[in-house]
Amino acid sequence: MVKDTKACAKDLPEAALVPSEHLRFMNRFTVTRADMCISCGLCASLCPYGVHKRVEGHVRILPPDDRRCIGPSCEVNYFFCVANCPTNSLSVGPSETFASLGDPRWTSEMILATWAMSETGRPLPLDHPGNVGASGGGFDKLHFKLPELKGKVDPSQICTAIDLNRRDSGAKIRIPIPIYGGGMSFGSVSAYTMLARAKAAKRWDTFTCTGEGGYPELLIPYKDHVITQIATGLFGVREESIQRTRIIEFKYAQGAKPGLGGHLLHDKNTPEVARMREAVPYTSLFSPFPFHSVYSVEDHKKHLDWAHAINPKALMSVKVSTPNDVEMVAVGSYYAGAHIVHLDGGYGGTGAAPEIAKKNIAMPIEYAIPKVHKFLAKEGIREQVTLLASGGLRTALDVAKAIALGADGAVIGTADLVALSCVRCGNCESGRGCPRGIATTDPVLEKLTDADWGAERISNLYGAWRLQWCELLARLGMTDISELRGRTDLLVHGNSQPKEASK
Amino acid sequence: MKYERYHIPLKSVPSRIAPVPKFVIIRADNCINCGKCEKSCIYGVHKRSEVDLRKMADPVNNLCKNCFRCIQDCPQRAITMMVGPDYKALGRGLWTSLRIFTVWNEAETGKIPVFGAGYRGLFAGPGYDGMWTDMSEIVRPTRDGIHGREYISTSVDLGSRPAWLEFDKAGQLVTDMPPITELQVPFVIDTTRLRAVTNAMKTGMARAAKHVDSLFFAAPESLPEEAASELNGQFVPVYPEGADVRKIVLPRGARMAALTLGSTWREDAKRFKSMYPQTVLAFRVNAGKDVEKRIVELVKSKVDVAHVLFDEEGMELDSGEPRYAKDSLRAIHKALVAKSVRDQITIIAGGGIAAAEHVPKTLICGADVVTLEKAAVLALECRDCITCSIGSCPANLGDAPADWIENRLTNLMGAWRDQLLEVLGAMGLREVRRLRGELGRAIFFEDVERESFSDIEGGAGNG
Repeated sequence: MVKDTKACAKDLPEAALVPSEHLRFMNRFTVTRADMCISCGLCASLCPYGVHKRVEGHVRILPPDDRRCIGPSCEVNYFFCVANCPTNSLSVGPSETFASLGDPRWTSEMILATWAMSETGRPLPLDHPGNVGASGGGFDKLHFKLPELKGKVDPSQICTAIDLNRRDSGAKIRIPIPIYGGGMSFGSVSAYTMLARAKAAKRWDTFTCTGEGGYPELLIPYKDHVITQIATGLFGVREESIQRTRIIEFKYAQGAKPGLGGHLLHDKNTPEVARMREAVPYTSLFSPFPFHSVYSVEDHKKHLDWAHAINPKALMSVKVSTPNDVEMVAVGSYYAGAHIVHLDGGYGGTGAAPEIAKKNIAMPIEYAIPKVHKFLAKEGIREQVTLLASGGLRTALDVAKAIALGADGAVIGTADLVALSCVRCGNCESGRGCPRGIATTDPVLEKLTDADWGAERISNLYGAWRLQWCELLARLGMTDISELRGRTDLLVHGNSQPKEASK
Repeated sequence: MKYERYHIPLKSVPSRIAPVPKFVIIRADNCINCGKCEKSCIYGVHKRSEVDLRKMADPVNNLCKNCFRCIQDCPQRAITMMVGPDYKALGRGLWTSLRIFTVWNEAETGKIPVFGAGYRGLFAGPGYDGMWTDMSEIVRPTRDGIHGREYISTSVDLGSRPAWLEFDKAGQLVTDMPPITELQVPFVIDTTRLRAVTNAMKTGMARAAKHVDSLFFAAPESLPEEAASELNGQFVPVYPEGADVRKIVLPRGARMAALTLGSTWREDAKRFKSMYPQTVLAFRVNAGKDVEKRIVELVKSKVDVAHVLFDEEGMELDSGEPRYAKDSLRAIHKALVAKSVRDQITIIAGGGIAAAEHVPKTLICGADVVTLEKAAVLALECRDCITCSIGSCPANLGDAPADWIENRLTNLMGAWRDQLLEVLGAMGLREVRRLRGELGRAIFFEDVERESFSDIEGGAGNG
């Protein structure tokens, strides 16, 4: 195992500002100017942020640009427009538009924080509200006991790399950040979205995954960074796409719809998607659950052996969801020959799933990780398995918490899409698909996402996350992210981040 | 005999009132009518005015799906969005605006709600929100999916089942067979606790119950003649506490009758059994402290069905420290199992059933059947106002015709049954009877918090 931290922090991509002016539409506060305004222009001369603007030669002042407003807390300043207005025609309050973005799991703060990091590549402070959701449980109630930072963080001295193959045999694959991209099929997302993710994966020397909808040719140049998924529907699974890849992922179940198989509703099954999946266009495609050839752990091993025979060099990943007996499933997967056990928790992303499945079937990932981690350790095989977690890991801190609970790394899906400007409106499933051009196969809408632009944004996000992990590790006095694994003693369960470390 | 596979036919039943928009779009005065929003919006919220093409028409709010494209693209920054005030004001407690909205849509389309993006709500919650159903990675109920050729049964029996059958030497059955009635779905409609019910509502709901082969509970004389004559076995008369059992005349063909538990219940049960030995006898019991003991007593008196009542929030009614139905039902189920009499009584649970997922969860906790009460009225676009009056109903329920009501409820039950199939499919079960009391196939919040977080400071079971 490479233990040289300098080597594993070498040649990482640099952050670069990605122009994203069109995404700066969200205002946290609303500045209202009433009709009695006399357009005197006092506010324009006072406001240092540029909310108010009066153009020379115009009779009336321009409508306020409330994106720049810092909100009612501005009242302590001498230049507070509301207090200074001679006609009392200004008021400042929270923005309704801002309140209609996001949900308890992906709060509006979190979406905007992810956008900011994708745009600039600069990390946000670890106590930024965008790092934690408001769902009132799980990761949102787990916090690190963080000592104050002593000195400066030197990211080049901190290793965030993980090994994907911890068995004695087979190819050694090491990725410089503890995450790779989860499966999103062609059909559920556009080819450009897949391409953007693949480009970012290549830049970071990590992986993305095809999902169950086949292997679009667009991705072949990135084949060393694309995992081929074999899912229950076997849509578009071909010998050559299995032979092309360095990691084969068997998808047994998906966290958002465990035990139900994939859904692609008829509208999104365009002729191109249907060709890739060898299906009839505009029919709804439901992949069965689970593999029809797998009724037992022995069958499961046979399955992996079959893929191994087609591509002996590839690592095997097994993606399962989180039932009560998830630890037995994990052990079974190890003995069947899996290198990576990938747990997908119930609150994970999806392109289309019955609402009843998302909340109610199978447990959230936060519970499954310690369960499996401890059981694998008890069985004496913890060090031979790479345990990856996914399903509701939204931020760098969520990933770190998952690692502290016992995972080796994580698989990221929705955060990639949010970097591509997803607002999580949840309309990916039908009609023309995503109105923002991410999870769509509509020939007009898919052009809204530019693959290069998207790749840079995802790459920036990964970079910002890495720097957040570096700060976290430095404050915990660690130099390697693998030291963090299973350190539940560093976590505290409660409603907010503890102010001082209790050490 | 021709085999007909059970199936609930569904068709779209349009709403009768103006929709409640989830999001409201406001176009400010500085709009220059450039029409960019019309191009951005793929849902048709923004359109030019038909009267004056130079101007934009008012946004069609109920089509908005919260994608922010128009706001993002507006060169004047003239568009703002807010969560619809009417939507926000809907519901309270367990009956959230989202749940009410979901029931409306299920009743309108008959379809399972399917959306993109992952779960968006709170991590867990009280009562049924604090549990998850299990799934199986390998076992499956049928070879070709839940809507495939093989059938997943949702039928349940109401009544007491003998533990064994006895035959004489000639092979003749000597066991006294208690009455049992079979339903095709594990839910029934109960109107006895509704705040306002019109005759059309009763007729429509009764027909819907017949349509899906379920049961309809109402006060004995309250059902309109017309509906009563159609119903035969599906109508369950519910007698109030203190009703004189000697004077009870059951409607023709009644398969089941419900009495309300009072001080004389033992005599009432005996008398009823002697008068109508072939009718399933149910007792309505308010859930509360020691309800499990009460139910064990019911079994001893040979009562076939216990209808356990909870309040709208799914909590016990008669108790200083009310438990959630989840805990109360588990206690009942375990008490019956401990006495080895679980199959001698059927448990119907009513109250706090606000969404499709509550059906399998209630069954897992130990009930055999659940009742639709408030959910049945919500299917008719009820807004669950705090003060309810048919005269000033915003959904105009006073005028709702019986056939519209029948179809809306049929849709709701169809959508809920299909969602039950999804859960059964994920668990690898082929019949809903197997779900009852399957506590090992559920994940409870308290348990997993303790198992997974007990070694974390501040976690459950750790200080």
